[in-house]
Amino acid sequence: MNRYTLSRREFLAQLGLVTAGAMLTACAGPAAPGGPAQAPGEGAAVSLAGDREIAPGVLRSETLILENPTGRVVPADDFNRWRPGIQSASTGLQQLALDALWYIDPDAGIDGVWDNSLAAEKPIYNEDFTQVTVKLREGIYWSDGVEFTAEDVAYTVETLKATPGMNYNGQFNKYVASVEIPDRYTVVFNLTEPNSRFHGLFTVRWSACFIMPKHIFEKQSDIVAYTFNPPVSLGPYVLKDYDPQGDWYLWERREDWQRTTLARFGMPAPKYAMYIAAGPSDKKVMAQTAGELDVIHDIAPEGMITLARTNPTSKGWFKSFPWAHPDPTLPSVIYNNERPGLDNRDIRWALTLAIDIVRVAMASYRGAATISAIHVPPTGLYPGYYFDPIQDWLNNFTLDLGNGEQYKPYDPEAAQRIAEEARKSLGDMVPTDPAEIRKAIGYGWWKYDLEAAEKLMRKAGCTRNAAGKWVLPNGEVFKIALMAEGDTRPVMNRGAAMIVENWSEFGVDASLDVRDNATRARLTLLGEMDAEFGWTVETWGGHPDLFFFLESWHSSFYRPTGENAVGRNRMRWRHPELDRIIEAIQRLDFDDPKGIELGLEFIKLAVNEMPITPIMSYNVFSVCDERYWEGFPTAENPYTNPVANWANTKYMYVKIKPKA
Amino acid sequence: MRKFVLNYLVPRIAQYVLVIFLGVTLTFIIPRLSPNDPVERQVSQLMMSGSHVSPEAIIAMREALTEMYGLSGSVWEQYLAFWGRLLRGDLGPSLSSFPTPVIQLLATAMPWTFGLLIPAVLISWIVGNILGAIAGYYENNRAIQIVDILSQAVRPIPYYIVALVMLAVFAYWIPIFPFSGAYPPGTRVELSWNFAWIVFRHSTLPLLSLILLGVGGWFVGMKSLTSNIISEDYVVYAEVTGLPKNRILSQYIIRNAMLPQITGLALQLGLIFSGALIMEVVFGYPGMGTLTFQAVMANDYTLIMGITLLSIVGVATAVLILDLIYPLFDPRVRHQ
Repeated sequence: MNRYTLSRREFLAQLGLVTAGAMLTACAGPAAPGGPAQAPGEGAAVSLAGDREIAPGVLRSETLILENPTGRVVPADDFNRWRPGIQSASTGLQQLALDALWYIDPDAGIDGVWDNSLAAEKPIYNEDFTQVTVKLREGIYWSDGVEFTAEDVAYTVETLKATPGMNYNGQFNKYVASVEIPDRYTVVFNLTEPNSRFHGLFTVRWSACFIMPKHIFEKQSDIVAYTFNPPVSLGPYVLKDYDPQGDWYLWERREDWQRTTLARFGMPAPKYAMYIAAGPSDKKVMAQTAGELDVIHDIAPEGMITLARTNPTSKGWFKSFPWAHPDPTLPSVIYNNERPGLDNRDIRWALTLAIDIVRVAMASYRGAATISAIHVPPTGLYPGYYFDPIQDWLNNFTLDLGNGEQYKPYDPEAAQRIAEEARKSLGDMVPTDPAEIRKAIGYGWWKYDLEAAEKLMRKAGCTRNAAGKWVLPNGEVFKIALMAEGDTRPVMNRGAAMIVENWSEFGVDASLDVRDNATRARLTLLGEMDAEFGWTVETWGGHPDLFFFLESWHSSFYRPTGENAVGRNRMRWRHPELDRIIEAIQRLDFDDPKGIELGLEFIKLAVNEMPITPIMSYNVFSVCDERYWEGFPTAENPYTNPVANWANTKYMYVKIKPKA
Repeated sequence: MRKFVLNYLVPRIAQYVLVIFLGVTLTFIIPRLSPNDPVERQVSQLMMSGSHVSPEAIIAMREALTEMYGLSGSVWEQYLAFWGRLLRGDLGPSLSSFPTPVIQLLATAMPWTFGLLIPAVLISWIVGNILGAIAGYYENNRAIQIVDILSQAVRPIPYYIVALVMLAVFAYWIPIFPFSGAYPPGTRVELSWNFAWIVFRHSTLPLLSLILLGVGGWFVGMKSLTSNIISEDYVVYAEVTGLPKNRILSQYIIRNAMLPQITGLALQLGLIFSGALIMEVVFGYPGMGTLTFQAVMANDYTLIMGITLLSIVGVATAVLILDLIYPLFDPRVRHQ
């Protein structure tokens, strides 16, 4: 008879299980503060309606799950959005819990492009733009029951101004002389110098200066070290729970959501919102296919194609090819206009005509690019503001190829050619209607014409050596290293590689210079580059004002190669006419329609000089799954941007509805 | 005893201290040789994030961040301050997650890495060595030959590919395992059997991927050692005396072949402190590997130093412990 209850084998097996369990349980970090003790989500109860709980008491059908593109947030418990380097911005914090004075939508907007959010009306400038008065909404409350007032706005500006190292410290020190509070709902900023765009600091495009809760921060002895945990919310949601590893954040709709600014548009439909670190592109595809991720922030074009083919509820910005949402940014070839050869406008134009936009679009986005021949992105409302009005001018624009030969470089059919090429692999998914193609893939681009490019190079005094390579007038072989991103944005890397190939075929000694982001940022700011494939043009998207990026293109901000560029003039381009345009825009009111006229003048100047070669918008493959929710923003219903880390996406919450 | 302490123990402890001192010094110097500057990174990030920043504001911001991050003063002053903090057990604040202390970040990531890598290393080591010894001794066994072929076939495949294939097969096509993380979103981290089971399920795929390749390495090494040992006189003599084969294998062959494998195991365990970067990235597993990746990408000097320091201390300590216990395994050392 066996003396033991368990055999040796059984004992060892159970010991192994217990040990493994104990070891893995020991991995458990400290429980997140602020939330009630809960049981795990996996395997949790299934409701009577057959619904799944993703956390105790949190039904999947009541939850919108979105990708946080930051990934894992380290440290997970830091919500001080006003400190540089904060990683939790896109965890729902700036989308759902923080609020700003104004929002400008990168698309059409929920009720027009401009939204007075915490402000009751637009900024009121005095005549010489040295004073701004802001009227605030009444009846808006923080989630702890304290009313939002002018005290909060004044405190935010004065505190950030007085605290070195905090965001906006430099801007407020430069522009704000003093802040007055005439009454509980009015703030007056006295500026140190005329500034017609001061309100831009408080206007959300992707982000902006959000307002701090004075009653919380004023109690802290060190606001730089303060983690603002749990965050007191001014938005319609409060933080319910979060992962101590920073992989997910769960927000719950406030019971008093009516006392927030978003309530003007109705009740946010999701009772809960969860922002998760979704991992690389292939995992996002798996997660959305499994119904575990409603909104993908961005994936590789191949991932989008897979979802379009295999998951019928996955929807892109466009209902079919090219699916992606065009961000109001403009990936371009940014030349260092001070390098020999690249300081010559004819050579820059020759390089532009040596780029085959069809091959670049195919290489980078498999054709799903939205191209731009001009120096603003083809996104939001910009086609109406700038692209339509300038088509005639572009069609008639001529280049002097030398010896008096005039040449029209614009190719209005470029987008059609991209569509035809894409149709070879994607078939019927690619639209055939020219109007649809124009909306999705863009207008025209510059001709791929090596003969014209050759003439421009000759006109600039260049010759070819025995190997067929271009030689500059100073006798040096013309070399260009095109700096580009690596794995962080494969579409940019692949686009740059194709441009290098195009130039090599033309006889330029071109190479691809892939750098990590930190090195790339350092070198491009210093101008230690021949050219870079990146962007220096960003716009509001919905609003036509170009001052957003143009301000730092003014020659007063110019820094020579070797010194850190200030703002966006990494190409080191200066032009008296450009200064005149920028100064004229600066003297205008933000909404003055003359701004568009001046913007068109800028575009004509930039086309003529070609200091950077515009390529396309940065298309973001934001994919929304309509399995649980519907009514996401699309090109047909562009009430806001679906790109999940933008603070503007708060408007999505009041437009989506549970799937019937 | 006195002889043991003076001739064996003291030199090894002195060597241990010297290795750590040099390691820490190199760890301090190397990130600073990088042309990338964490302050400049923050500044450029801010400039690229939206609104315009004036030149004066940028200069002020640079100065403020340099001061805040403790990067002001000469490198020598920073070095002395670094040792001062280190001896007080303070690794300083992380620059990319400022002002969170590096120690706090390490403490959060470490248990996950330990929880996965220690079982992976131990299981691989045990299974690989046993199978390797059997393969080396029973060369004609059909079953072990299949294991040998599989091991040789899998071992050269880059880990990244193996991990992705396992992920695609067992999490996507045949979805029996979760495809990401150590637990699903919404799960509260807590000490409970239910949570342990969830973590176990999530850890299975990364664990298997590590074991699959780990076993191959130990297998090949042990098989090679065994093949050499079976021709030694004492093995031949044991066989001639008619001892059972299993006894020859366990008492004569494995015991002698184990010594270099024990050294390898100690070094592997020491390296655990730096995590398994590719595994953690592919499987979305929290731990030291992910933290290292983030630190390098963000040029976070202090965090890189903290992680490297742990790794140096881990390996040096493992070697020291090995040196101290080696006489237990190898009688020749005891006699010396």
